Amino acid sequence: MAEDRTLTVTEAMTRAKGALEGIRVSVVGEVSEFADKPGYKAAYFTVCDSGTSMSCLMWRDIYESSGVSLRCGMLIELSGHFSAYLPKGRMQFIVRSLRLAGEGTLRLQVAQLARRLEAEGLMAPERKRTPPRIPSRIGVVTSPRGKAVHDVLRTLRRRFPLAEVVVAGVAVEGVGAPDEIKRAIELCAAQGPDVILLVRGGGSYEDLMPFNSEVVARAVVACPVPVVSGIGHEPDTTLADMVADVRASTPTAAAEASAPSVAELRETLRRERRLLGRALINRLDGVHHRIERIQQRPLFKEAHALLGQREQLLDSLGIRLRQSLPRRLGVDATAVEVIRGRMVRIGRTLVERHSRRVDLAGCSLRGLSPLAILERGYAVATTTSGQIIRDPESIREGDEFTVRVARGRIEGVAKSTTREEP
Amino acid sequence: MSAEETDLGALPFDKALSELETIVSALEGGQLELEESMAKYERGVALLGALQSRLSEAQQKVTMLIGELEVEPTEAESE
Repeated sequence: MAEDRTLTVTEAMTRAKGALEGIRVSVVGEVSEFADKPGYKAAYFTVCDSGTSMSCLMWRDIYESSGVSLRCGMLIELSGHFSAYLPKGRMQFIVRSLRLAGEGTLRLQVAQLARRLEAEGLMAPERKRTPPRIPSRIGVVTSPRGKAVHDVLRTLRRRFPLAEVVVAGVAVEGVGAPDEIKRAIELCAAQGPDVILLVRGGGSYEDLMPFNSEVVARAVVACPVPVVSGIGHEPDTTLADMVADVRASTPTAAAEASAPSVAELRETLRRERRLLGRALINRLDGVHHRIERIQQRPLFKEAHALLGQREQLLDSLGIRLRQSLPRRLGVDATAVEVIRGRMVRIGRTLVERHSRRVDLAGCSLRGLSPLAILERGYAVATTTSGQIIRDPESIREGDEFTVRVARGRIEGVAKSTTREEP
Repeated sequence: MSAEETDLGALPFDKALSELETIVSALEGGQLELEESMAKYERGVALLGALQSRLSEAQQKVTMLIGELEVEPTEAESE
């Protein structure tokens, strides 16, 4: 429907805009320019292929709900329709939906899984464990082929040959890789290492996919010992890296992070030796100073001055003691001597007096003896029963009696008795 | 058995180093009896010697649990 009437520019562009909006397509292209400023109502970007490029507009709400963060170089799949921006007379593509194409799809899946694992708290810093400073045994889970395992072994040999290394060599690519890696982590952990290194060398995003699997991520989380990851090269970040206790950028960096270096340890030992020596010297100095302080005290410095008073007191006591002793003894000795003299005298008198008394007693005894009386001519008459006859009535006529005289006895018979009053 | 009685040869490296550090701290604290300080110092010196000689003599032991270690590829062969 050709029109004769000449159109204004606006009329022409409006007509073109209407025509463009009828073209609804899906397009695959690489993001070459991207502008997403907070103030903008829409995200503006350009997609291209080797032949040409097209400007795209995506309303903010639609862009944000797509869950994709656009970056230059991304391969994306978009659907929408063309349109024109009249003020500038420019053609643009209005994007209705957007998703990552190819690797982009994988990344999206991984990102979704990452969000899920993060929501479970598996990436939380407080869940992460710190490997021991000095391990005795180091587990390594990696491919037995390629550079990575040798990078790790060489680094460990150089840094810390004291640790024993146990290696579980597994396939790290392919369909079965996640399950193999999980089994290798478990097998390694069963050896009781202090730390496990989960490493692989660099590769494409697809190559690293086993380390983005949920199986491996959960195996890392479940591992009873701390896991240090070193997967690919900076800036590759896999899910295994995100949940690992320590994330290193490369296999070599993982090995470095898991073991101290002998050189550092030597330095540590040198420091400890210095500290040890100094500590003892300080201790000895401390004791020495204490002894010196004690020595400085007047007690030890001027012992005589301090003790002088007591010494003098002691001396004078000694003198008094020496002086007092003989005097006292003299007094006692004199007393004893006096007593002794008295005793001797008393003893002598006692003996004399007693011997005299004994002599007197002897004389008396002799005078008292009836024999002595008989000697003087007296006689004693006794009855037959031995009774001394003092009274003539104690004997009758015809009774026998005995007369005791000085030199014997006489038996007789009473002829008569006569009592005489004295 | 206390750590002090343990044979130095049987003591893991990290345990020996920790013990050494503990001894140094204890000595620095200055709370020990002099006799104990001397004994600790001697123990520290013994630990130091054992650790240093272990560092010099260490040969790494590598065990393959599964898989066979391949010879390291040259730069050209590597990925």
